[in-house]
Amino acid sequence: MDTLTKLQILSGAARYDASCASSGSKREASSGGIGNTSQSGICHSWSDDGRCISLLKILLSNDCRYDCAYCVNRSSNAVERASFTAREVVDLTLEFYRRNYIEGLFLSSAVMQSPDSTMERMVRVVETLRLEEQFGGYIHLKIIPGCSSELVRKAGLYADRISVNIELPSQVSLQRLAPQKHKDAILEPMALIGREITSSLVERKADRRAPRFAPAGQSTQMIIGASPENDFQILRLSQGLYKKMNLKRVYYSAYVPVSDDNRLPVLASPPLLREHRLYQADWLLRFYGFSAEEILSDDLPFLDETFDPKTAWALRHPEFFPVEINRADYATLLRVPGIGVTSAKRIIAARRFSSVTPEGMKKIGVVMKRAKYFITSSGMSFEKAGRAPALIRQQLLLGEATATLPSRQLLLPGLFL
Amino acid sequence: MKAMKRYLYDGTADGLFSAISWILEEEAEPENVVLAEREQTLFEDGFFIATNVTQAESLFVRLRNRAPDAAYSISLFMLAEKGGMESSLLNYIALVFTHGDKVSGYLTHPAVRDIVSLAKKAGRELHRMKGLLRFEKLQDGAYLAKMEPNHNIIQPLASYFCTRLRAQHWFLYDVKRRIAAQWSNGGLQFGTIEQFITPALSEDEKKVQLLWQTFFKTIAISDRKNPRLQKSNMPMKYWKYLTEKQGE
Repeated sequence: MDTLTKLQILSGAARYDASCASSGSKREASSGGIGNTSQSGICHSWSDDGRCISLLKILLSNDCRYDCAYCVNRSSNAVERASFTAREVVDLTLEFYRRNYIEGLFLSSAVMQSPDSTMERMVRVVETLRLEEQFGGYIHLKIIPGCSSELVRKAGLYADRISVNIELPSQVSLQRLAPQKHKDAILEPMALIGREITSSLVERKADRRAPRFAPAGQSTQMIIGASPENDFQILRLSQGLYKKMNLKRVYYSAYVPVSDDNRLPVLASPPLLREHRLYQADWLLRFYGFSAEEILSDDLPFLDETFDPKTAWALRHPEFFPVEINRADYATLLRVPGIGVTSAKRIIAARRFSSVTPEGMKKIGVVMKRAKYFITSSGMSFEKAGRAPALIRQQLLLGEATATLPSRQLLLPGLFL
Repeated sequence: MKAMKRYLYDGTADGLFSAISWILEEEAEPENVVLAEREQTLFEDGFFIATNVTQAESLFVRLRNRAPDAAYSISLFMLAEKGGMESSLLNYIALVFTHGDKVSGYLTHPAVRDIVSLAKKAGRELHRMKGLLRFEKLQDGAYLAKMEPNHNIIQPLASYFCTRLRAQHWFLYDVKRRIAAQWSNGGLQFGTIEQFITPALSEDEKKVQLLWQTFFKTIAISDRKNPRLQKSNMPMKYWKYLTEKQGE
């Protein structure tokens, strides 16, 4: 089979992997080698589904031993199988990198003979890239659950980011849909990676030449809508991963029906709006100081489809508003619907010089569409309308009737680490 | 209202900075000054300030020492090559010397907003081109990338690729401005090109391009097609030189 055919099969098989970030790592170029990484990450293209392309995202092989119901590559599915040689992957990466098509390589794989032999072949690819070719570009490597901790350690030394997919939000669903995968085999390497990252950071404080371990951190991915968990369960799981395992990112991937297995729900289309709301809520967890318990509860286990999670929270908490933009601290400003990290910082920077007026808010580029219902400027309201939540809700809806549908973007390009 | 004093300079970057340096020294209220490019008419109203390269450089050095972030914004602003902004720049620089770097947050001030927003635009295109630039391998083994950016970003872009692709021999070519950058054997050079002759591609180039085009097609999830989002992230004006968008 020629490389072109393999590329077609093995990039097609990797397309459901959500991660595309190339940020969070700063690797200097070596004198004789090729490539470096940039702290902020760089998108190189956007595919027809609007997602950013920054890495050559491929599987080493799609020849899978496992039979997970939700996966295109499950052993019982009649798809064409292919496997790259290490050399093929190395050459593709370098040829693409030299032409500035990509920031680096994202390598995952189906489980071939065993987790260990698969992981060994993947590690060999990145070892060749780093040591033989002195490749300094970005590498994201998937960890195959169940492989030895020695291989996990080696992977972390060569890759910028490593990730173990959690796949489904609960052990019960995992057992039902992916019977050959086990929760422990997923969480164990995650914890190991977390420990290695921390100790490498400590060592590098003492000695700048100490080896780096996955400098861009670890991430994971789970499939949304293939199993019955509610959004509250999912958000609490993510919160735990961020807090306890120190993950950089959790990716959510709307389940795209790739199988008519009767263990799976029948969906007319992938639950994209739900995925979008989960990403918004995830942002609230990571950058806005919200907890999962503030966003959802047992009585309210699903995210509102009509309003973004922050607006929904604001409507449930009228006692918190209005917020005075000339006095409120950063954390309070961030709670205002429509005011994000950038706007909050701009408001604080601008009011050093003079108090910010409604006119001034527009000048510094704060979008007032939603914010105007929740703020005052030196005691003055922006909106004459009453502040009853029911009224605000109605006005927000009316205002939004002409607005465009929520973006179907899967990933926000590397704005944050 | 007080009458505005009018000053002129020769239209070059050095001229602009020497004029600003001169005005800041001589004028107590730069906000009452208009600075504009001299036009070649006989009767022009205003006092012409001659270009003095040393003075221009010394102003920039002082800016960099006083407020490095603002100095960086100014250099990005200059890439926009936008006329008619001289008075805004003068006022912005005067504010930088009073307030330092935090002045860039003073977005309610019109001059700050003019300079910072143009600098942001230029910076955004520079960042974008770091991703969207496409090299093609030539017969002699060198690589060539053509582009038509709105802002004159070839200098910072080239120095970015000096570290990234340092073992390669490459050229950048700004087709509209006819400026080229060349990196070979550890040296970077700039020059203008009178007549561009399209060089022959290396034998394997089309093969690699086909691999990339194939990858580009198969990586998209067809159930999630979203051309609007694709265009908003990657405006069509950049498609001309994108390998993956050829033949569309």
